[in-house]
Amino acid sequence: MEHVLACIDASVYSDSVCDLSAWAAHKLDIPIELLHVVQRHEAVSERHDLSGAIGLGAKSVLLEELTKLEEADSRLQVERGRALLAVATERLKAAGITRIDPLHRHGGIIETILEREEGARVVIIGKRGADHAFAADHIGSMVERVVRASTKPVLIASRHYNEPQSVVLAYDGSKHADHALERLRLSALFTGMPVHIVMAGSIDGKHRAMLDKAAARLDGSVAVTTTLQQGKPEKLISDVVAATPGALLVMGAYGHSPFRTLIVGSTTTAMIRTVHAPVLLVR
Amino acid sequence: MFSIATLRREWLANPRADILAGIVVALALIPEAIGFSIIAGVDPRVGLYASFSIAVIISLVGGRPGMISAATAAIAVLVLPLIQQHGVDYLFAATILMGIVQVIAGFLRLNLLMQYVSRSVITGFVNALAILIFIAQLPELTGVPMLTYVLVAAGLGVIYLLPRLTKAVPSPLVAIVVLTVIVYYVGLDVRTVGDMGELPSSLPAFLIPNVPFTLETLQIILPYSLTMAAVGLLESMMTAQIVDDLTDTGSDKQREMKGQGIANFATGFLGGMGGCAMIGQSVINVKSGGSTRLSTFVAGMFLLFLIVVLGPLVAQIPMAALVAVMIMVSIGTFSWRSIKDIRHHPWQSSVVMIVTVVIVVWTHDLAQGVLAGVILSGLFFASKVKRLFTVDSSLSADGNTRTYKVGGQVFFASSDAFVAAFDFKEVLDTVIIDVSAAHFWDISAVGTLDKAILKFRRDGTKVEIIGLNEASATLVDRYAVHDKPGAEAQLGGH
Repeated sequence: MEHVLACIDASVYSDSVCDLSAWAAHKLDIPIELLHVVQRHEAVSERHDLSGAIGLGAKSVLLEELTKLEEADSRLQVERGRALLAVATERLKAAGITRIDPLHRHGGIIETILEREEGARVVIIGKRGADHAFAADHIGSMVERVVRASTKPVLIASRHYNEPQSVVLAYDGSKHADHALERLRLSALFTGMPVHIVMAGSIDGKHRAMLDKAAARLDGSVAVTTTLQQGKPEKLISDVVAATPGALLVMGAYGHSPFRTLIVGSTTTAMIRTVHAPVLLVR
Repeated sequence: MFSIATLRREWLANPRADILAGIVVALALIPEAIGFSIIAGVDPRVGLYASFSIAVIISLVGGRPGMISAATAAIAVLVLPLIQQHGVDYLFAATILMGIVQVIAGFLRLNLLMQYVSRSVITGFVNALAILIFIAQLPELTGVPMLTYVLVAAGLGVIYLLPRLTKAVPSPLVAIVVLTVIVYYVGLDVRTVGDMGELPSSLPAFLIPNVPFTLETLQIILPYSLTMAAVGLLESMMTAQIVDDLTDTGSDKQREMKGQGIANFATGFLGGMGGCAMIGQSVINVKSGGSTRLSTFVAGMFLLFLIVVLGPLVAQIPMAALVAVMIMVSIGTFSWRSIKDIRHHPWQSSVVMIVTVVIVVWTHDLAQGVLAGVILSGLFFASKVKRLFTVDSSLSADGNTRTYKVGGQVFFASSDAFVAAFDFKEVLDTVIIDVSAAHFWDISAVGTLDKAILKFRRDGTKVEIIGLNEASATLVDRYAVHDKPGAEAQLGGH
């Protein structure tokens, strides 16, 4: 059975992830899998022993020492993870969710999420992880890596949860954007929600036609408004989102390769960074 | 294969710790590379170039990040006769062929054979390796002036006592530097590395081994290449397992095999001897904080820098200092726990371990020792499993029918017990052999069942077999003769 995969950690975003997951689970009528990954603190690189001398039973002594160093910390992490999962489960129960499947795993965050997203309809994560000291308008490196590697739609929770009331679709006429539009049309998540399609570009007939075509695809089942305006996409879209109460931004994710992004930067990353609302990235 | 994620995980997880560990390992590689060259009877240059080349290449193409590979004792002890009889160019040719063999072994997934190498064999291998490294130091310790022993003892003292004061500098390096300075300034008359042969003064260059490309050459080098490849892969697979355990991460053993092959292949063309993963150095690497490909890469590059820039100084190092370092490696490699465990472990395990050690030390060939150990542990296993075999029998009320219930594992080792369980002298009408609780593993077992049935039938006893389970049934169908044309009358139940 499909489910919502909600990924939580010790960051301030976890409450928002829970609320957003509860909303999605209600809308889609599927259970929630609540995932917390225990990351081991690596002791190998933390030992400051450059003596290079190996004595009696070097291998077993070293193995014992490394195990001891990692054991205490891991135990603490596991305790903390349990507490986090318990709090999150309570929060979901309070929101009226009954089918909750808490999942506590060891391993790398990215690897585990990719492994567990198999049966997920949507993956929900916070905009920043616990390891990130809070710096305004930054996005966690983990988040970007999850979005790049995941094959499922990823819903990124903002810091404060407002129940999504309307959808803002970032549209640029590309294949990715069309795909996002299609998902938006079909998904039960957005049934009945008004849609605002926003496009950044010169105001001319070509862009207008693209926008109208996109609006027509939603075939009047929901209220559709469109905006075409000159300017930087991230600025324009974050303005629209800020002006729309209860907005949820939908867009196609990462059209370009990581190498190209390295040089020219990425609109997707910029958008996630600047928008203070949940963002759904569609592959 | 290559992506940003693997680059991050396998190279840049912790650059600072990896670079420091790489430097420590490079310093520890110098005495060993020189020492192993001397074991093999070649110029120190050959071992140093090999260590640089193997370490750098394996960091790029290997399957176990954080493992150190270079010129090793295990390979060095094998090649001495080849060099003595034919010269060093044959060593380069054999190294190239060794690489080819290893790549082929990688494609054939021969790493799966490691499943059959038991823990006792691995312990025996490691202990034998430590003993070989130690034995190789004996020429430097016999028939030498008293002064040498003093220097070796002083070296060992620095290596083991210095870490109590500071762990910020590699103590083997300090031992080497201190002894070299003393010997040089006091003007002591002891053997130095410079006496052992030519040291490199330039970067390694591409060369084609100066051997005739004939079938005869192949016949000379092939046996060496095969053994070198086998020993190299064995030690590499074991070391990979050790690094897996220490870092609690996985590795791609098949890729490691191919990587070892590529590294040796290329090293042969650079005028280096064959090599493989090093247990001692890999432990030193992890101990110093290295766990990614970066530390192996740094170790190789820094080694090259050291030997090219510091070549003239390296020649001044007294052999006694190197011997001290090699004794440390030998002690660190040996599994001291295994000595204590001899009393607690089943005697068969201890015998396997000791036989492996004895054969390696005797033949100076790790492959032969491992082969003996594997065969022996297989035999012990068979002798243990054959005890999982029972036969019960009961006579019917009228005294004319006996039912034998056979349970457990029937195979070559238990087939004698199988036949002995039947009483062929008893006069009966019918014998029922119930094998529903038994497994027939091989054609020996099937042949034994046939033999028993035919024996009964010769005495005019009717034989019924019941409960041949699925696994046994296929074997019987495929191999047995008793129900095929040519065998006498038909059998009951068939």
